[in-house]
Amino acid sequence: MMEALTTMAYRQLKRFIRARSRVLGMVINPLIWLVFFGLGWSRVFDNPMAKMIFGGVDYLTFLAPGIFAMTVFNMSFIAGVSVIWDKQFGFLKEVLVAPASRKGSILGRIIGDSLVTLAQGAIILVLTYPLAESLKLSGFLPALGVGFLLSMAFSGFGVSLALKMESMEGFQMVMMVLMLPLTFLSGAIYPIDTMPGWMKALAYINPLTYAVDGARHFLVGASVAKFSLGVDLGVLTVLAALLVGLAMTEFERATIG
Amino acid sequence: MSEAIVVENLVKKYGDFEAVKGVSFKVKQGEIFAFLGPNGAGKTTTVHVLTTLLRPTAGRAVVAGHDVVEEPMEVRKRIGIVFQDPSLDRELTAWENMYIHGRIYGLKGNELREKMERLLKFVELWEFKDKPVKTFSGGMQRRLEIARSLLHEPEVLFLDEPTIGLDPQTRAHIWDYIRAMKEEHNMTIFLTTHYMDEAEMLADRIAIIDHGKIIAEGTAEELKKLVGNDVIYLKLEAPEELKCLQGEFIRGCKVLPDGRVALEVENAAEALPGLFELANERGIRILEVTYHRPTLNDVFLHLTGREIRDESPENPMASFVRMRMRRR
Ligand SMILES: Nc1ncnc2c1ncn2[C@@H]1O[C@H](COP(=O)(O)OP(=O)(O)OP(=O)(O)O)[C@@H](O)[C@H]1O
Ligand SMILES: [Mg+2]
Repeated sequence: MMEALTTMAYRQLKRFIRARSRVLGMVINPLIWLVFFGLGWSRVFDNPMAKMIFGGVDYLTFLAPGIFAMTVFNMSFIAGVSVIWDKQFGFLKEVLVAPASRKGSILGRIIGDSLVTLAQGAIILVLTYPLAESLKLSGFLPALGVGFLLSMAFSGFGVSLALKMESMEGFQMVMMVLMLPLTFLSGAIYPIDTMPGWMKALAYINPLTYAVDGARHFLVGASVAKFSLGVDLGVLTVLAALLVGLAMTEFERATIG
Repeated sequence: MSEAIVVENLVKKYGDFEAVKGVSFKVKQGEIFAFLGPNGAGKTTTVHVLTTLLRPTAGRAVVAGHDVVEEPMEVRKRIGIVFQDPSLDRELTAWENMYIHGRIYGLKGNELREKMERLLKFVELWEFKDKPVKTFSGGMQRRLEIARSLLHEPEVLFLDEPTIGLDPQTRAHIWDYIRAMKEEHNMTIFLTTHYMDEAEMLADRIAIIDHGKIIAEGTAEELKKLVGNDVIYLKLEAPEELKCLQGEFIRGCKVLPDGRVALEVENAAEALPGLFELANERGIRILEVTYHRPTLNDVFLHLTGREIRDESPENPMASFVRMRMRRR
């Protein structure tokens, strides 16, 4: 179990190192959000009335944990789903035919992917600090911890999904249907409290909400957060355990063709 | 245990389609056994069942002493496989691919490094060990896959079309490796191929498979006997009535319309010296000799009425199409 786990984590990290500029370049997209969306609106919201809506902080400070969580969510999901490439390029067979623990292999892969995702998340955070005036430096590492839970959950989800899919076709659909709405419904960009009732309901069942909120606890402070830290971390932990468990069960059962 | 593989009435269905229709065979330890058959015959499906990647629909298969359904882990520990389609991590280097394989098979430290070095040298990839696999030619990738499959010293090795789409030199190279593996490690090798020469050159025994069924099995010699005898064609300087030579090894004789004589013998290569003696005794001069031995293609043709070879390395277009499919 341990052997398979560490080996597959090693593989994901090696692949990352080989393609680091491309992988790290993927943070361009969230960076565009942060700069063009965040900086753009921050002037509009630069008044006491707006600050109140955003929990008493400037808009960029409000937005930054949201963009961080969005980055981790997107990147980890893409990483998980990339199991489909192992299917297409055949490496999956090499893993499935090995006398190693399959649960260990896939868990190792998910951990490896999550570490890579954290590198991407860390870059976004580092670039955010100069823009958002009141982000707490001390929140950096704990926020990465929240990111790790979120990343485990969505890499696991991506893996389960990819094992069910035959090709990348249809995947684009899933991305479109899932990613943007989940981001909008997470309180990352505007507060949940001012949403219409039906949207609020969706936001409550959106796991990303709790990651955004957890990151806000650490990076900004409890005053801007909606839920207690215990709720945020509890939801994320349970979710990660469930989705990683699902991926492990699915992988155990996987056959080829 | 002298049987490395025992298969009884193996059936594999994909939905309603029966890809393998009840095959039975045994492979002895230390033997090279070839599955020879055209595209879609069910070779890969059989290999995937024997290597625990697909569950059989019916029947039983025991590999290296363990049932593939009951004890897949025990089977996996004892087998190695080179898949028909590529299965390397193309982003990683040859060394990293080998290392990952070794680790998930429980090897480590110096032992692993030494084995990796020996095998990478064996397949002549040592100097490319730090290059990413995506920069490798098809033949180099195949050699790396072979080295990788040997790393954990399997008892039974499965090679699914090991030389498909490769050029003649590379094929010959890979044949050398396969022979060396059998000789040095007394490894049991289960090979699939649709190249007759490959089956003939490498295999101790051959099963011809078509449409999911084994239609003939035996050594290459035994299979060829199914078609008939060897035929020797002679151009002689002799009176017409003497042309049909008599001898105990001659099974039949016919004078062809072009004047040549066709002699049926059991084994042309062995019969020729006797034939020269016979002609000498009778004072007959032999002007020209050719002979035809039945090929495995004749065997396949004889059994199915079709040719086995829809492609061959001499047909570059077909190989090209095939390689593109491999890289899909
Ligand atoms: N996953 C699958 N689903 C449905 N049918 C399949 C599947 N895999 C193979 N088949 C069919 O089963 C038959 C046997 O396929 P198989 O791949 O075992 O043949 P093969 O002898 O290896 O052929 P080739 O020389 O092309 O590799 C073919 O008709 C093929 O179309
Ligand atoms: Mg095949």
